[in-house]
Amino acid sequence: MPQDFDVIPGNKAIAHGVRLARVEVVPAYPITPQTTIIEYIADFVANGELDAEYVHTEGEHSCMAVAVGASMAGARTFTATCSQGLAYMHEVVAQATNYRTPIVMAIANRTLGWYWSLGPDYSDIMPEMNLGWLVNFVETNQECLDMTLMNYKIAEDYRVLLPTMISLDGFYLSYSQERVYMPEIEAVDEWLPPYKAPYPVDPTISKAWPSAGIPFQLHTTYRRLHEEVMEDAKKVIAEVDRSFGETFGRSYGGLVEKYRTENADSVLVTMGSMTTAARRAVDKLRKEGEKIGLLKLRYMRPFPNEELIELAGQVDSIGVLDRAVLHGTGGGMAFQDVKAALYNTDIKVPVMNFVTGLGGEDIPIDDIYVMGKKVVKAAKSGKLEKEVNYVEHPMTGMAPPVEFESESCMHPGSDGCAGCGASIIVRTLLDTLGPDTVVINPPNCSGVNYGGVVKVPWILANFAAGAAYETGVYRALRKKGKADKVYVTSYAGDGGTADIGLQSISGAAERGESIIWLCYDNEAYMNTGIQRSGTTPLFSSTSSTPAGSVWKGKPTRRKNLLMIMAAHRIPYIATASLAYIPDLKRKIKKAAEVTRAGEGMAFLHVHQPCCTGWYFEPEQTVEIGRLAVQSGAFPVVEIDHGQFKISVKPKELKPVKEYLAPQRRFRHVSDEMVEVIQGHINNDWAALLKMEKEGKLDWY
Amino acid sequence: MIMVQDRSVIKGLVLNDIANKGGKYVANWRVYKPEIDLDKCVACGLCISYCPEAAINRSGDKKPEIDYRFCKGCGICAYECPQKAIDMKQEEA
Repeated sequence: MPQDFDVIPGNKAIAHGVRLARVEVVPAYPITPQTTIIEYIADFVANGELDAEYVHTEGEHSCMAVAVGASMAGARTFTATCSQGLAYMHEVVAQATNYRTPIVMAIANRTLGWYWSLGPDYSDIMPEMNLGWLVNFVETNQECLDMTLMNYKIAEDYRVLLPTMISLDGFYLSYSQERVYMPEIEAVDEWLPPYKAPYPVDPTISKAWPSAGIPFQLHTTYRRLHEEVMEDAKKVIAEVDRSFGETFGRSYGGLVEKYRTENADSVLVTMGSMTTAARRAVDKLRKEGEKIGLLKLRYMRPFPNEELIELAGQVDSIGVLDRAVLHGTGGGMAFQDVKAALYNTDIKVPVMNFVTGLGGEDIPIDDIYVMGKKVVKAAKSGKLEKEVNYVEHPMTGMAPPVEFESESCMHPGSDGCAGCGASIIVRTLLDTLGPDTVVINPPNCSGVNYGGVVKVPWILANFAAGAAYETGVYRALRKKGKADKVYVTSYAGDGGTADIGLQSISGAAERGESIIWLCYDNEAYMNTGIQRSGTTPLFSSTSSTPAGSVWKGKPTRRKNLLMIMAAHRIPYIATASLAYIPDLKRKIKKAAEVTRAGEGMAFLHVHQPCCTGWYFEPEQTVEIGRLAVQSGAFPVVEIDHGQFKISVKPKELKPVKEYLAPQRRFRHVSDEMVEVIQGHINNDWAALLKMEKEGKLDWY
Repeated sequence: MIMVQDRSVIKGLVLNDIANKGGKYVANWRVYKPEIDLDKCVACGLCISYCPEAAINRSGDKKPEIDYRFCKGCGICAYECPQKAIDMKQEEA
């Protein structure tokens, strides 16, 4: 059957797979390099090309939980994540197996733990490998699309009924364009009928539902049964691969794919996108007369023991390429599985390991050629020179910094956008607090851009735990008698404050930790490319709430952070704007006083117009901030020990249209929609005036 | 602040070190270049506080001086200058 093709990145191929599979529920949370998957899906939904419930969750833990709930209730469910996000999901990822939820989750691999490496390796999927999911690695963008469809067919088969991860290398596949053939949706409909859950959590259909609790005596039995199901899945994987080939003309070999293994004396074992380079290296070695082949592990779980043993019996040496290290074992991830699979057999073949491409470093053909040579040598000599080989390269391409002397706590020469407002706020914060300050930075664009040009300790925190990191630093300093000598502040974005970070802030506020929380609010996840957050205003078009034929930008209003924090009765809360620097400085000083006195948390919520994310000219950054305050779109107020005061009170509010018009994120907004926004602002402003008149908030 | 591995006495520990000074050369980002007319300038300092790069400093006579190595050409200084003393001129190709 002839099929249309398109030249698209791997993330888009996955999104097309989701569209063709008519997925019903898509919980989403951004993280590089996965984010564009959920953006492409948002585009499909916004424009009516996919009729799905799209859930903008406030963090990955919830994202996976929505997926489990949706799948239990009988919906075909998809989500995507990677790296820190996958690790944050972990608990719910483990739960998904017991509830037998056939979720398909794409993992656009990215290294775990060493944060600012956005590049791929398999350290993120490694801890999730043994939880009972099927784990599939893909090599090409075509495989991304095809395996999305096939994995639904496999996962939803009642002989399996298990969740499945599709692991695609970040950047190498997620963003690289390749030709991808697109099946007709009618053909997919016929091949992949709608999901019918055997026991949906829907009392109108089923009186029974999957349980997660069993007596301890049965644990061993059910773990054994799960292993049997994993074994059964091997058959289903092979069947679906054949059936897909018959219907759509492409099949991949099921659990593994062999390349030039005929008469091979040596074999390289690979997975994911490195395989393409390995094929070329094998070609080169074959041309030179070396008898070497390649085994691509397509599924790591269930592990293809039989296929591996069969091939190992025919060769004299094996070389395993690994993009992850199992720390404490001395080698890589697949290496341990390969060795374990062969141990209790009669096969005594040397197995070498090459740890390569960590943190996203390229694995070029030339490197694999050298590895191949070593493996061939081991086949000839029958012994290993070195069991585990780390393929390392020297660092190149870093320009030395421009020498510069200044009294400011921040150097010039950052990576930030031209016209960035966040840097104005960082500099004001640090120059007001002084050099004896520790900055805790939940991931955000400022961490990337300014973390390297400040002259104070700038500690990267995990996204959901900024205030907890602060608490740790503050309590340790207090124990050592330094609480009145060092300020502990955050430099957090709106996602790290209003969404994923809120629980930890709430905890620290209630405990009375004397720390400063500064949120620079640019009203979206700018670090991952402008996805909506809890503070994104009504109707704003973002990459996860695009304005289309169905969607009209974000459908809900922003969270009222001021009142959320006021409910905690913390001693000082203020909103501020980069357009009013003296006011901002005064508020930072006040926050410093309150925390130094040990009175509890000071919370600063600073509005930061973002020319890149809001689409206005960079020279207007301060002007837009001023218009936000003067139109009442972002009122600048403070609550000092419960005493409410409006800091900047225009005699008359400017029409909000003046604030919205220069920003292209509101380009689609009609006059009626502007009226709705104006109505909210008028009500909010009246409420603020009333609160100011009453003075002290009753509950303080 | 650059990662330095050789200063750490702990094997495998990567350090950030605030003893390192300086940032990136970013002048090549610029399309428009701000030029200050010092005759019109009243040394109010607004451009200094609003410069996202901290590329403007006070010179000896308190008037602002742009360090063009670090100016990305965003134009906030020219837009905000109450005296209209800063002009954005297109860079030579």
